[in-house]
Amino acid sequence: MEPFPPFKSERVSRRRYERERRGRQEAERILEHLSRELYEANAALKAQAASLEETVRHRTEELRAAKVAAETASDAKSAFLAMISHEIRTPLNGVLGMATVLAETELDAVQMDMAEVILTSGNGLLALLNDVLDLSKIEARQMEIEEIGFDLANLMAEQRRIFELRAAEKGLSFRMSGQAGLPSYIQGDPNRLRQVVSNLLSNAMKFTAKGGVHLDVSLDQWLLTVAVTDTGPGVPETKRHKLFKPFSQTDASITRQYGGTGLGLAISRQVCRLMGGDLVFRPARGGGSVFTATMRLSPPNVGAAPVDLGHCPFQKVLGARRWRILVAEDSETNRKVVELLLKPFDLDIRMVFDGAQAVEQHLARPFDLILMDVNMPVMNGLAAASLIRQEEERIGAERVPIIALTANAMTHQVSDYLRQGIDAHVAKPVRREDLARAMALQLCEQTRALMQG
Amino acid sequence: MNRVGLEVPVKGMIFTELLDLADHLAGEEAVDKLLDDLDLDSDAAYTSVGNYPCSELVQIMTALGAQSGVSCDEVQREFGHWVLGIFTDRYPHFVKDKHTAFDLLEVIETEVHAEVRKLYPDAELPTFRTRRLGPDRMEMHYHSERPLRSFCHGLIEACLQRYGVTGQVRIAQDNGASDTVFDIQLER
Repeated sequence: MEPFPPFKSERVSRRRYERERRGRQEAERILEHLSRELYEANAALKAQAASLEETVRHRTEELRAAKVAAETASDAKSAFLAMISHEIRTPLNGVLGMATVLAETELDAVQMDMAEVILTSGNGLLALLNDVLDLSKIEARQMEIEEIGFDLANLMAEQRRIFELRAAEKGLSFRMSGQAGLPSYIQGDPNRLRQVVSNLLSNAMKFTAKGGVHLDVSLDQWLLTVAVTDTGPGVPETKRHKLFKPFSQTDASITRQYGGTGLGLAISRQVCRLMGGDLVFRPARGGGSVFTATMRLSPPNVGAAPVDLGHCPFQKVLGARRWRILVAEDSETNRKVVELLLKPFDLDIRMVFDGAQAVEQHLARPFDLILMDVNMPVMNGLAAASLIRQEEERIGAERVPIIALTANAMTHQVSDYLRQGIDAHVAKPVRREDLARAMALQLCEQTRALMQG
Repeated sequence: MNRVGLEVPVKGMIFTELLDLADHLAGEEAVDKLLDDLDLDSDAAYTSVGNYPCSELVQIMTALGAQSGVSCDEVQREFGHWVLGIFTDRYPHFVKDKHTAFDLLEVIETEVHAEVRKLYPDAELPTFRTRRLGPDRMEMHYHSERPLRSFCHGLIEACLQRYGVTGQVRIAQDNGASDTVFDIQLER
């Protein structure tokens, strides 16, 4: 097709003009329509964005409220446990204290047996209470690990003494290895370490009917490894995954046969992990079990050394002279327990019912040592200790040792006490040996002076 | 959408370009008369942003052919040439990095249509699927709801011409005017 020769005229036809004009009008109409559509789409988007914003705000508010509710519930649970633990320990203090003293009186064989059952059951209850408290502390991430100097060799030797005896009673052999290289002074948490070792050895003894238990310890680069091997039945492969779960003994029949709460291994593993190590299981050759705990300890602080109690056996210290002891305790049961527990020692004991009386009595005529309950009416033990310290400072008197008797022994609370003029604490229920040791430790210096003088 | 044939709407821009081609070929006077005689529903008041029935496009092309003594298919092919020229003039950036005719044919389906959809989301576009059968041979499958395969034919020819190559454009598979496979063989 050949193109048409260029059209010369400057004018266009009326029809063409009309057509172009209608085309333009049509374009404008379409444009208007599209503009409106665009506006509406934009408005819809804006509305959607606003409603999304509102939804997000609403959800965030809901989540915040849920978080607050959960935290409140968790706090309530912790507070409840702390309160219950306090409430249970106080009567338990009475039961155990009285049973201890009762067992020391003139009893016939049947009565002695009954007293032993009360003691064993009470101690079992106390162990359970401690386990539940430990677990709740772990869950609330409030488990605290102490960093204090202690004698590692001595701690292991003490465990050996306890478990050698138990093994002998059950007709099992008990062997310990690796202890030769242990230092006598090291930094860490001796109570938690003792808890783990004791738990592993108790389990091994509990489940082993014949053969024996082997405890191997080693310290490498301040990493302590404790391996406990037994010749018991071992753990079936299908049940190993439940070993370290709380409240899950591998078999319900185990609870009936061996007792226990099934909390020990769960707690021990968490304790080991908090101490920078772990607790693992592997089957022993020949069918038993090997539990290996690792815990990180640290080198001792330069210059500091543990108080050597070797020179201060508590019987000797408490018998060195008739010490004047002040006991501030509002509960009659607890007063009686302390009195009876300290009965074997010839001490001059004065009892008061609150902190204000303690301050008054001590200032009137100073005592050698004060046993102070923390929660008392009129004036609590901490306020009383603080007043006594102020007065000592003012008149330049000697510092009297004050031991707190506490039922709510959380580590951070204890360190609070120590800052507020308390020298040591003994947890309720009070055991005679713990109390006597703590008192002897405080009176040790004075005893030496006495001996030398 | 199952509409096939002459009821399918065609983008207004195709109409305005066709009328430009008609002016170029027959002159304004003749085109005015031709449109008057056709008595179209739209009165031929086309705007590039509107949509109009394909039947009007075919009517105009047929009348234009009759005037010059050629078939509607001939006009479609001529229109294919025209549109490729307009396209490359108006959108040089599409052509810039296409070094061969086949390169350009390949991107009609991908790049060009993607751009068209941004402006006209409702556009019902034909497909131009390509397949290289060798360095000098390509297959293009035209599929549309409109019977305009000769337009596609013209488009291919214009593309070869633009890159200064000659070749044969043959219908390899004929499923009607809206579904055809072209076999393009370049000559060396």
